[in-house]
Amino acid sequence: MTNSMNNVHEINNLMGQNFSLVDARILDAYQVSYELEKEDIHRALTVLKNAGFRQLSYLSCVDWPEEDVIEMVYIVMNWEKALHVQLHAKIDRNNPVMDSVLPIFPGAKYYEREAHEFFGVSFPGNKDHEKQLILENWDDMPPMRKDFDPRAYSDRKFTKRPMKRDYEIQDASSNKEREIKREARANALRTGGKE
Amino acid sequence: MRELKLFLGPQHPGMHGNAAVHMYVEGDIIKRSYLLPGMLHRGFEKGMERHSWVNNISLIPRVCVVEPDINEMAFAQGVEMLAGIEVPERAHYIRMIILELARISIHMMAYGGLGSPTGNYTLMYHAHADRNSILNIFEKITGHRVYHQYIVPGGVRKDLPKGIEEDIHAFLDSLESRYEEYRDLGIENPTLLKRIKDTIMLPEEVVWELGVTGVGMRSAVNKPYDLRKVKPYARYDQVDFEVPVSDYSDARARVDIKLKEVVQSISIIRQALKKMPKGPVRVPLGPGQSMRWTVPKGSVYSTVESSRGEFGYFIVSDGKTHPYRVGVRGASYPQGLLGIEKYLPGTRIDDAALWVDTMGVCSPEIDR
Repeated sequence: MTNSMNNVHEINNLMGQNFSLVDARILDAYQVSYELEKEDIHRALTVLKNAGFRQLSYLSCVDWPEEDVIEMVYIVMNWEKALHVQLHAKIDRNNPVMDSVLPIFPGAKYYEREAHEFFGVSFPGNKDHEKQLILENWDDMPPMRKDFDPRAYSDRKFTKRPMKRDYEIQDASSNKEREIKREARANALRTGGKE
Repeated sequence: MRELKLFLGPQHPGMHGNAAVHMYVEGDIIKRSYLLPGMLHRGFEKGMERHSWVNNISLIPRVCVVEPDINEMAFAQGVEMLAGIEVPERAHYIRMIILELARISIHMMAYGGLGSPTGNYTLMYHAHADRNSILNIFEKITGHRVYHQYIVPGGVRKDLPKGIEEDIHAFLDSLESRYEEYRDLGIENPTLLKRIKDTIMLPEEVVWELGVTGVGMRSAVNKPYDLRKVKPYARYDQVDFEVPVSDYSDARARVDIKLKEVVQSISIIRQALKKMPKGPVRVPLGPGQSMRWTVPKGSVYSTVESSRGEFGYFIVSDGKTHPYRVGVRGASYPQGLLGIEKYLPGTRIDDAALWVDTMGVCSPEIDR
């Protein structure tokens, strides 16, 4: 187990020779990140696996509604060279289909099930990918998508309990404006800077 | 013989946390099995997107209940990598002390947990008593027993209190003096040995197939694949320690490695207390209000060696006050879900609890 920037350059050469990279970034001596075309992912994972990246550390998605894409993320690890490689590929958000990587990494089975449940991505080749895993009887859009609003969902799903109000605010008029402002700011922090 | 369906957990002394193992059994041999997660799903990944970077500090430790510090560390490291923050030297050592104390506490809990499915309750009581001493130390340092919120982006929240070194040394000495007793009580105990020797094997090919890391991996591949050694974070490259390994992974070997790691952790804490320099423990994140603090665009995968293996946070920032996406790689995800489905069939009913304990399946981090 040796680590040096040599390993990073080695893997950079390997990927550069074999694939047309959309983007390549060296994060530090232990981690590199590549963006590929969707079609190249399986070949890239195979090449990396043969180069000693035997462990699939993580598989997930990132939703980008403005660009109308879902970004698939695969992270593989080489323990001998102490290197994590991130592979990113963008797929269509309206018809999210990505072939399963089960034949290359059997450990991806449950990651793909989870990605289907939370992002709505289909994985042909993984026959279990549509089975329910964590969410029980879910009847809404995949919850990790950016346009899913948890507040609206809970308002719709659960009936509001009547709340007893057994306190009184003294002289409510004097602080009214400040309270409204504070509430707006708190709401902005809660929802990501949108006031 | 008739096939029966059995549930292990969520209400069972041998089950860790709120998950259930569904088993279809014939006689006492498991024919099919799978884990039923989701009872502890609290929507953490979505919640993190709706809190600011600093707000998230109080949310992340709750991802794994019994070992919260690794979450704080992985998150803080990732944010520091994205924002380019240099942590003060003293904070690195304090972080190491906290992480190693947490490692001892969870290994003791797992070792004690071995007692409950096998009926050796003395072991469990003793191990939990020692875990309690560690929680007392945590309470003195951080003010909290379980969720510390102590390791934050930029360093640690506060410096160590006065006189805590003596407390830590006293605890380490007392644990070390009873180490042989612990071995006698547990894995040297002939009754227990019969249960854990040569059961629930984990061959090397299975490690690579599932993606198991941590104690399970090191017990099978016979190589020191420990992130503390392979890609050192904090100041693990400044202290001497060994990574215990084995090439025959049965339940006994894995428990043995956990116990040996406790000894190494004791030595790491002693060295860290000795080498720790004086100085500041935290750098300010940036000018202005911390709630309005932004992190530059980028994505990073930050990893920590937890007691169960590689624990990672995948963090994406779009340059705003909130994280754009945070993904958690639970260390016990592979062995907890795929491992139970594929490799538990063929073993006996009572081995299921041993798999869950010795492979360190933690249901909160599977659910998130």
